[in-house]
Amino acid sequence: MKLVGIAGSVADKSYNRLLLKFIATHFSDTVDVEILDIQDVPMFNQSDDQTDSDAVQYLSHKIKQADGVIIATPEHNHTITAALKSVIEWLSFKIHPLSGKPVMIVGASYYDQGSSRAQLNLRQILESPGVDAIVMPGNEFLLGEVKEAFDDQHNLKDARTVSFLKETLEKFVKFVKVINTMNGPAEDDSWKSEDLEAHGKVETTIEGVNMHAADWVEQAAAKTNAATGDDYVKLDRGVLTVNQLNYFLNSMPMELTYADANNQFIYYNHNAEAKDMMAARTPAQAGNPMADCHPKRAIPHVQQVIHMLRTGKTDLFKLPVPGNGPEKYIMHYYQAMHDAKGDYKGINEFVLDILPIVKYYLAHTGQVLAKDPNAKADAISGASAKSADTKPDSVSGASADAVPEQPDEVSGASADPEPVEPEVDSISGASGNDN
Amino acid sequence: MHKFIAIVGTNSDESTNRTLLQFMQKHFAAQATIELVEIKDLPMFNKPENKQVPAAATAIAEKIDQADGVIISTPEYDHSAPAVLMNALEWLSFHIHPFVDKPVMIIGASYGSLGTSRAQAHLRQILDSPELRARIMPSSEFLLGHSLQAFDADGNLVDEQKLAKLTGLFTDFQTFVDITAELNHANEANRKEVQNVNWDKL
Repeated sequence: MKLVGIAGSVADKSYNRLLLKFIATHFSDTVDVEILDIQDVPMFNQSDDQTDSDAVQYLSHKIKQADGVIIATPEHNHTITAALKSVIEWLSFKIHPLSGKPVMIVGASYYDQGSSRAQLNLRQILESPGVDAIVMPGNEFLLGEVKEAFDDQHNLKDARTVSFLKETLEKFVKFVKVINTMNGPAEDDSWKSEDLEAHGKVETTIEGVNMHAADWVEQAAAKTNAATGDDYVKLDRGVLTVNQLNYFLNSMPMELTYADANNQFIYYNHNAEAKDMMAARTPAQAGNPMADCHPKRAIPHVQQVIHMLRTGKTDLFKLPVPGNGPEKYIMHYYQAMHDAKGDYKGINEFVLDILPIVKYYLAHTGQVLAKDPNAKADAISGASAKSADTKPDSVSGASADAVPEQPDEVSGASADPEPVEPEVDSISGASGNDN
Repeated sequence: MHKFIAIVGTNSDESTNRTLLQFMQKHFAAQATIELVEIKDLPMFNKPENKQVPAAATAIAEKIDQADGVIISTPEYDHSAPAVLMNALEWLSFHIHPFVDKPVMIIGASYGSLGTSRAQAHLRQILDSPELRARIMPSSEFLLGHSLQAFDADGNLVDEQKLAKLTGLFTDFQTFVDITAELNHANEANRKEVQNVNWDKL
């Protein structure tokens, strides 16, 4: 596998360059890393376009030819260096070589933060539409107190740091393969057949009612002469009135949504106003085709998830919902539903905050959250809460485009091996929708 | 009368951020003196081992030292502040510390509708870092979206609501400058701490 490495520094002496060199030599049996020089890249200036300069074209060609990119960033003033930012600006102005490219971020710093804030910034920058890189989630490699980290031969001294770096790199190798498969010529693009406009129909589709109508529920109920109020409904296993069913579903400690096999959103347990919901829904949305409930750019992701559930590649797809602060850990679950024969009947989407459950369990069993020294990913602690701008997803989290939370990984190195107090305060949301 | 330094956060020849600052300079002339500063001529920051700060940077630092406050108008590139502005702030925190405890007002203009919201948040984060530790005016944002349509031929801000908002924020900034002058009990400590950051001795 061919990777290129960019050290985000143009200083004569750069520990980040040293770190990249170490990766290139020490793991040469795993990956082939070529370190690219950004020394000659001029300061970005939109009125002096130097896209065609050798320094910029060299980077562009090398990046395009590589399978993936490793960026090692210093931290200056809580952010990345201007030199690195300038490179990224050139590579997002008239040309976009990083688009769709798998990127791994590492970083080293003099103090103990290990470039933590610069790394978050860099993620945000790399995910902006002009850059459009695909940054590996999680697996933060933060090398603090870097002046003490290398020996005379420029090798990392700490064995645990090296082993964590190896693990991270091995994951990146897999990540690169996955992303490049995704970007490559589609071997299986059958997911594209998922029609989120719900043009088709299934045996339960209520025809002759406008799916977009705000009063779809009323119209559909009238048309089908639907059971209501005190009418009894026989269920498996029980008999309830419609009212009882509503009491029951509305008191579920989670938000429930029914999307049928025709990709029509036909029900949610309406027990709160949209503004108070974890994934906002409004009464007028019931009946909408699923395309109405997602921003356009999220549609392919939604199609893929639905198709996985419909075709049985998975029965449950789940992801945490970003940007909810430290006091919540909201999960979205998409559970495939089937009839007795196993035929696909739609998706039971449920949304709930699992943090109270975790807290309750800990409090009542006298336990605390502790870091697992052997864990591959440290699930405690959060990731960036990026701004969601422009047209928030109207059925919000229903989109599968939210980037799953990026768990923070302690740089295996200096990490304290002793269990620590629960860090529930540091749990935060992950990257959100971004245009 | 207050004296302010206004940093044009771009090196572009055409910039509505520059237009915005020029407008403020003219429009608030009775209230304050605003001097525009360009950052185009600063070299790329490379953390030189000889600690030599370029003359262009020390010249800006001196202006900031003598000013009552700094206004920064930032574009947004890739969801963040432009490299050229980050570069200026790197030089202005490298063995010189003109921003320590200096009142700063952040504004920004963009062609699109968002008006540099993310770049401003990014800039706040940068200015709040230990080597800069500026006194950024809190809870205030001036986001000028659709900036190409925002000015008339004479460079005047046409939207009355936007103008009222800008006037309010600028007047607040003047008050903020006066209040900040009284928040002086940690000034000395801040200055010492910043000067004591010794990268070599770590």
